[in-house]
Amino acid sequence: MGFDHLHLILNHVPVIGIIIAFALFLLSFSSGNGDLRRASLIVFAAIALLTIPTFVSGVGAEASIRSEPGVSATLVRRHEGAAMLGLWFVEAAGALALAALWRSRQPGRSQRRMNIAMLLLAVVAVGLMVRTGNTGGAIRHPEPGTLQGADVAEDPLGAVVSVFEPTPGGFTNLMVASNWWWAGMMVMHFVGLSLIIGVIGLLNLRIMGFAKELAFAPVHRLLPLAMIGLAINITTGMLAFIGMPTYYTADLAFWLKIGALMLLGVNTAVFYLTGVFNRMEKLKPGEDADIPAKLVAATSLVLWFAVIVCGRYIQRFEDSLRF
Amino acid sequence: MATPLFLNTLERTGLSTWIRETESVFGYYFVLVFHNIGLALLVGSCAVIAFRLLGFVPQLPLRPLRRLFLFVWIGFWLNVVSGIFLLIAYPTKALTNPIFYIKLLLVAAGMEVLRRTERFLAQASEEEQAAVAARGRSLALWSLGLWLGVLTAGRVLAYTASYILYGKPT
Repeated sequence: MGFDHLHLILNHVPVIGIIIAFALFLLSFSSGNGDLRRASLIVFAAIALLTIPTFVSGVGAEASIRSEPGVSATLVRRHEGAAMLGLWFVEAAGALALAALWRSRQPGRSQRRMNIAMLLLAVVAVGLMVRTGNTGGAIRHPEPGTLQGADVAEDPLGAVVSVFEPTPGGFTNLMVASNWWWAGMMVMHFVGLSLIIGVIGLLNLRIMGFAKELAFAPVHRLLPLAMIGLAINITTGMLAFIGMPTYYTADLAFWLKIGALMLLGVNTAVFYLTGVFNRMEKLKPGEDADIPAKLVAATSLVLWFAVIVCGRYIQRFEDSLRF
Repeated sequence: MATPLFLNTLERTGLSTWIRETESVFGYYFVLVFHNIGLALLVGSCAVIAFRLLGFVPQLPLRPLRRLFLFVWIGFWLNVVSGIFLLIAYPTKALTNPIFYIKLLLVAAGMEVLRRTERFLAQASEEEQAAVAARGRSLALWSLGLWLGVLTAGRVLAYTASYILYGKPT
């Protein structure tokens, strides 16, 4: 299996997933169903996570089909530009969904503004994902004449959207144009890492039995700090990837890191959606957590450790994969 | 100024050469992993304490947060040891770069602020008076500023070195 196959497996997930999330979100208003709205927000967050491996598998896919006859470089670039724009809106929608989920747990706080922002962001994200899907599909099923060098035909809406889409090579060059910009991104990546590990580490260790004089609930209130760290690191991480796409994509350690992050998503879902969190919330000072909670906490600690180790080994495993 | 000869001697030792040049995964990047884990433990713990002192999550009791100093010290000593190994691997690169000394000074200042923070937490009573809270905020801001400086200096080392190895300018 090559990156082209991996990209094919993944690439329908963000497009169809965000449409499903959006549909559930709209339905929750017509039925006034709060659980449905929470479910839609969870889908938005999950799609934001799954969009990351989809995006990064595209570079390897491009490399493996580039030299095939019938593949137009112009169409590939157009798809890449669409993805580079859409990515940020899908990630922003996921971040806002997590913020809305956090806020929905605080009784008495109005959700109105957040819902309106979510609605606007979701409309744009859905549109851009559909555009990314269509331009990607056009690589294998081009309009007649495109391969003979005719201009790529755009419908009126596509013509407008394409103005905002970055030129892939230009975006890449911009990221690596200055050592200082790059160094700044890496410093921010370390800042984000410290915020994540500080908060998530303490939370997991409390569940494991460290600092039992703390109740669980106030430690959990620190979570927005870790979420800010995560937002910083997804932003700087994806910008770094865009800066050196071929460097990361052929790297075993990079893919193991992405894999560990996906498993962390699963682990988080187990924690919040299977009742573990509901029991932890009632954990008073001095009380011991149950075994399922300790298993989830230990898994999280091991996976974050793996994320750091793999991240550090990316340079060592440069060009370790063929594509 | 001529580069001191002992840097060359150190670079030619078996250990230094091995960390730099080995094909094994337990060489240079293995040391870097420890340096990174140490950073996460130290700065992560310190960030949680600092944001609490700045007034984030006031319902989180202060005194139990002293327990986090276990990880501050584990992180610190991990990084002293891994830092020494990194220095053995590239002594000329580090010691001819002024930023390296700035980083060490920032680490020293950061550890002093953390030591004072630890004492502050030990004495902190749960009913916070305004003067006490103000001192907590000041410690937190110094701490965040200094450790951000350490991270920045550490990262910038790679871009400001005059030499990679002895007699090998960048």
